[in-house]
Amino acid sequence: MMDLTDREWVKHAITHPMEGFEDMRWKKAGSMKISCVIILLWFVASIFEKRLYGFQFHATSDKMFNVVPFIVQTVILFLTWVVGNWSICTLLDGEGRVKNIFIYSAYALIPYVASLYIEVFLSHFLIRDESVFIEAVSVIGLLWSVVLVFSAIKSVHQYSFLKTIFAIMLTIVAMLIMLFLLVLLLSLFQQVYVFIYSIYTELAYRFKV
Amino acid sequence: MKHSLKKILPIVITAVMSAVSAVNLTAKADEHYDVYNYDRWEEAIPSQAGYMATRSVSGEDLGVGDFSEPSDIFRDAYDQFFIVDTKNNRIVVTNSEMTEAVMVMEEFTMSDGSTTTLKSPEGVYVSPETDLVYIADYNNSRVLVCDYDCNVTMEIKKPTTELFSQELTFLPQKVLADKAGNVYIVLGNITTGAAMFNNEGEFVGYYGANTVEATSQVIANYFWKLISTEEMRSRQSRTVPSGITSFDLDDEGFIYTCTQSTSQKKDTVKKLNPAGTNLFSSLETSWGDIQSVYDTNTNKNYQSMICDIEISDDGNINCLDLTSGRVFQYDEEGNLLFIFGSSADQLGGFTEVTALESLGNEILVLDTRKNTVTIFEETDFGATVHKATVLYNGGYYEEALDPWFEVLQYDGNYRRAFLGISAAYLVQGNYEGSMKYAKLADSPYRYNRAFEGYRTEFLNEHMTAITIIVILLIIGIFALRAYLKKHYKPNAEYDLTHATPIREEE
Repeated sequence: MMDLTDREWVKHAITHPMEGFEDMRWKKAGSMKISCVIILLWFVASIFEKRLYGFQFHATSDKMFNVVPFIVQTVILFLTWVVGNWSICTLLDGEGRVKNIFIYSAYALIPYVASLYIEVFLSHFLIRDESVFIEAVSVIGLLWSVVLVFSAIKSVHQYSFLKTIFAIMLTIVAMLIMLFLLVLLLSLFQQVYVFIYSIYTELAYRFKV
Repeated sequence: MKHSLKKILPIVITAVMSAVSAVNLTAKADEHYDVYNYDRWEEAIPSQAGYMATRSVSGEDLGVGDFSEPSDIFRDAYDQFFIVDTKNNRIVVTNSEMTEAVMVMEEFTMSDGSTTTLKSPEGVYVSPETDLVYIADYNNSRVLVCDYDCNVTMEIKKPTTELFSQELTFLPQKVLADKAGNVYIVLGNITTGAAMFNNEGEFVGYYGANTVEATSQVIANYFWKLISTEEMRSRQSRTVPSGITSFDLDDEGFIYTCTQSTSQKKDTVKKLNPAGTNLFSSLETSWGDIQSVYDTNTNKNYQSMICDIEISDDGNINCLDLTSGRVFQYDEEGNLLFIFGSSADQLGGFTEVTALESLGNEILVLDTRKNTVTIFEETDFGATVHKATVLYNGGYYEEALDPWFEVLQYDGNYRRAFLGISAAYLVQGNYEGSMKYAKLADSPYRYNRAFEGYRTEFLNEHMTAITIIVILLIIGIFALRAYLKKHYKPNAEYDLTHATPIREEE
C-alpha cells in the first residue's frame, strides 16, 4: 500500500498536514535529492525576492549586491535548524535521524518557497493599492509552512503536541548558540589571519631592506 | 564599404571629440574645491557648481575703511545691503551692486534729541512695510528701532515684567519684525526660543523654542534624576534645548529658524507658522552635511552647524554651515539643490562665516575673520535647475520638462531631474517614459503611478487578445487532462482511504 513515487510523496506530504509526514515515516519515503533542490530553490527565491521584485514595491534598490547574506539566510539557516534540532531531540528521546530531519523539514518549506515565487510573479502585475493580494499569498504560504514544519518535527521524532512545541523552542535556542559560536569562530580565525599576515609583511620588509 | 568607413571614421572621431570638449567648456566648474551633491543613498557624489564665487568686497573697497568682525548682513526693500560692522560699532549701508557705501549709521538721535552710539551691534533687520531699521545692539543690551535718517523711534530694553526672569541678561544677537510689527529677538542666553515683543515694545512671550531630543543620554539622565537625591541632582548636567541661532522671514510671513548646535541633530532648520508649530517636522531632510567629517589633525568629527538662514525671493532656503563654510541651498520643500563654498583662503573659501543674504541670482556670504563679503553668482547650470524647480514645485510639470533635460546634460546624476521628467511624462500620458525615468530616479512611488496607467492602457488595448489566450489556455488544460486520463492510469495505490487502516494493523 501507499507505493508512491518520490514526487507523489512530496505532493502527499504537503497536502496532508496531519498525517502526511506520518505516512512518509511509515513507508521510509522521502528523497534527499528533492530536499536539496527545495533548499536551492529557496536560496534562489530569496535572491529573486530582493532583485526581481516589481519596482513599484521596492523600498529602495541597493547600490551593491552581495550573495553571502542570502546564503546565510537560507542554506546556513536551514543547516543550523537541522543540526540544532537533531542535537536537541537526541537528548529528548527523538527518533529522527539527521537525514530524516533534513528531508522532512525541506518538504515542509515547499509552500513558503512557492509563495515567494508567486509573490515575485504577482509583483510585476499589481500596483501598490493591490498589495493586499501579495500579502495574502505570503501569509498563507508562511502559515502553511509553519504547520507543516510542526507536523514534520512531530512525526519525525514521534512526539506529542506539547513536546514538539518544547523541542522547537529549544531548537531555536540551540540555533542561536550555534550561530553565536560560528561568529566567534570566524572572528577568531580572522585574528589568526591578521596575525599571520602581519608576520608575513614584517618579514617581507626585512628581506627587502 | 570598408573605404568609406575609413574615410568617415576620422571625421566622426573629431566631431565627437570636439562635441565632448565643447560640453566640457560650458560645464566646467572653475571652483577650487570639489563640488558635490548627495545622491539617493545619501552619499556624496561629484556634481556641477550651481553657484560660483565672482568677487569679494571689503570695507576698503566700499570706501568706508576695513570692517572689523562684521556679523550680519541684510537686504532691504530697495536692494540696499545693511552690513553690521560689529567691532567698528556701525552699520554700513551699500548699494545693490556692492560697489560703494551709501550711508554709514553710527550716531542715532533719540526722541528727546540726545544722541547715542552702538556698542558691538550683532544683528540688523529692515522692515519692508515700514522702512524701520531694527538693530540688535548687543553690548548696550537693547534693540534700537530707527528710520533711515537714524532717528530712533523705539528702544526695546530688558523687559521689567514678571514674565522675563530678572536674573537673566538681555543681550540681543539677531532681530526680526513681522508684518504686524511684532519684534522677535534672539538672545544668546535664552533657550526657550526668540523673545517676542509687540509693536509697542512690550514683552509678549517666547516663540519657536526647540525641544530636547530624546537621546539615550537624556533618557538615562531622566532615570537617574528619579532616584537621586537633591544634592546629587544639583551636580548633574541639566538637559536644556539649544537656543535658536538665527532666523529669517519669507514673503508669506513664515519665520524660518536655524540652530547652530553640536548636540542637536533634528530640526536644526524649522519653518514656523504664527502659532509656533514647525511645518518642516515631517520632512526627512537632514540639513547640512549628511555625513560628519573626521579630521585627523584635531581628532574630531565635524558635523554641520547651521549658523544662518536666508529665504531668497523665489522661495529657496539658503543655509550657512559654520563648520565647513559651505552654503546649502534647498528648495521650498526642503530638497537639496546645491552645495557651494568651502573653508579656504581663496575666493569662495571662508575662515569663519557668520551671515548670508541673497539678491536675485546672487548670494552674499559674510566672513567675520576675513572681513569681507563674498559674492556668489548663479551658473548656467544653477539657473536651469532653479527654473525647472520653480516650475516643478508650482505644478507645471510639462513646462519643466525641457529644463530638466537640460539639467541632465550638465549633471547626469541629478536625481530630481529624473523625478521631474517622470512626473511630466505621467501628465502627458507617456507611461512607458515615465516608468523609465522613475526607475532611473529610483522612485518606486512614481513608478507605481506610471505603471498603473501603463497597465490600464495595456489591458484596454489588448483585451481581446488576452481573453482569447485565457480561453485557449483553459481549453488546453482540460484537453491535456482528458488525454492524460485516457493514456496514463493513475497510481492505483495512491488512495489514502486505505492508508490509515493498514497502519493501524502494523
